[in-house]
Amino acid sequence: MVFSIAHHFLTDAPSAEELAQDVFLQLHATLPTLKSEEHVKFWLRKVTAHRCIDYQRRRKLPQVSLDEAPEPMSPAQSSDPLVARRLQQFVASLPEKPRLIVILRYQEDMLPEDIATVLAMPVATVKSYLQRSLALLREKVTRTMGEVTI
Amino acid sequence: MTEINKNPNLLEDALRNALRREDAPEGFALRVLARALPQASAAQEAQRASWLSIFSQPLLRWSAVAAVTICLVIGGIYYRNLQRQRAEGEAAKQQLMLALRIAGSKLQLAKEKVNEINTSRPEPQPQNRSPRSRS
Amino acid sequence: MSTMTRKLVPLILLLAFPAILRAQELKLPPGVEKLASKAKETVEVNMDGPMLHWASKFLSAEDPEERKAAKLVANLKGIYVRSYEFSDEGAYSAADVEEVRAQFRSPGWSRVVGVRSERDGDNVDIFFKLENEKMAGIVIISAEAKELTFVNIVGPLEVDQLADLGGEFGIPKLKTRPQSSKPMAKADKGEQK
Repeated sequence: MVFSIAHHFLTDAPSAEELAQDVFLQLHATLPTLKSEEHVKFWLRKVTAHRCIDYQRRRKLPQVSLDEAPEPMSPAQSSDPLVARRLQQFVASLPEKPRLIVILRYQEDMLPEDIATVLAMPVATVKSYLQRSLALLREKVTRTMGEVTI
Repeated sequence: MTEINKNPNLLEDALRNALRREDAPEGFALRVLARALPQASAAQEAQRASWLSIFSQPLLRWSAVAAVTICLVIGGIYYRNLQRQRAEGEAAKQQLMLALRIAGSKLQLAKEKVNEINTSRPEPQPQNRSPRSRS
Repeated sequence: MSTMTRKLVPLILLLAFPAILRAQELKLPPGVEKLASKAKETVEVNMDGPMLHWASKFLSAEDPEERKAAKLVANLKGIYVRSYEFSDEGAYSAADVEEVRAQFRSPGWSRVVGVRSERDGDNVDIFFKLENEKMAGIVIISAEAKELTFVNIVGPLEVDQLADLGGEFGIPKLKTRPQSSKPMAKADKGEQK
């Protein structure tokens, strides 16, 4: 779960592993204070999410708004059969908070309310980011992949 | 066939597929342990006089950290199994209570019907030998 | 069945393995089994002895209702329920229901209640199974205008245990009667349909 969230967010496996290791080392120190399996899961998601954003900022990557999110660097291949990989790339091109929200929603199957708690954001903001991200992803799919049937 | 870009459900399904959980790379757990060792050493330096000094041996330190991690993993698995069994047991209990309530409600229905009939019926007349008496 | 129960339980399926059904004394004809596809709500509970005992471990001794339930189920061998609720009347066949009733007009079974009501169409039959003058099982067949329910409780169930639960589950305090096939009450207006 931890590595997966980090990898989908950072798209770089070595960085994702380093981040995941940091999270587990911190978990080991914090474990006595956690009361249940659900608490552990919540803690892991929260810490991983915040570390992802911190890591991103430390790398000093430019922040863009949702409306300015660029297309993936690789050229569009209308015949590219790997829809999943393209979608991963599209998600990775989202700004950090919407990206994290999409990952928590569709990898972890979390409800907007739970995502809001993990990220310490208002639920309305989460829902708004989610809605706009989906619209943007849909637009990117159309623009770069044409009509995609599955 | 429905287009992914027009059908919101398909886009969401595709996202779930694209973002499904990935396993950590091979050797991830060992690398975490390896990073944990220097931290264990720093803590043990501070507690030199305590019984933890036994862990000053590198091999024992490594074993101790590994043992703790294994215990955490096993404990976590045990805890998870316990939670699952409890949830299944609660669900079965709810089924049982539901079945008993249904049985009870139908018995209650029967009782009500019997009471209705008994209160609406006239008192039976004493039997006599008259040919007009009801059979 | 309360509205809340109906709303909470649109369809519950628990342990439908054929082996378990052998303990069940009630055989439902194919026409009844197919009612699930027509019903607005279906409740199906199949709990054999081991399952009952396991479930009863989770009954709370601090809850009066659950405490009595634990006592009731302690020696039971099975509880089986099929209940169908329909949107409209006339969804099931009277002949199918009669086929089920006929199974219990046999030695060992006594019909202790048989109510036929032409006024609202509700028919209820309660059959006791007696072995060595003790209750060994109960079958309840409730055929209402928009609801059809079959209950089979298998096991050495003391009638006074049912009586003790009067009011808790809505189970009436039935008086124990001498072994007899005479119904306690029956409408004189004849069988419905």
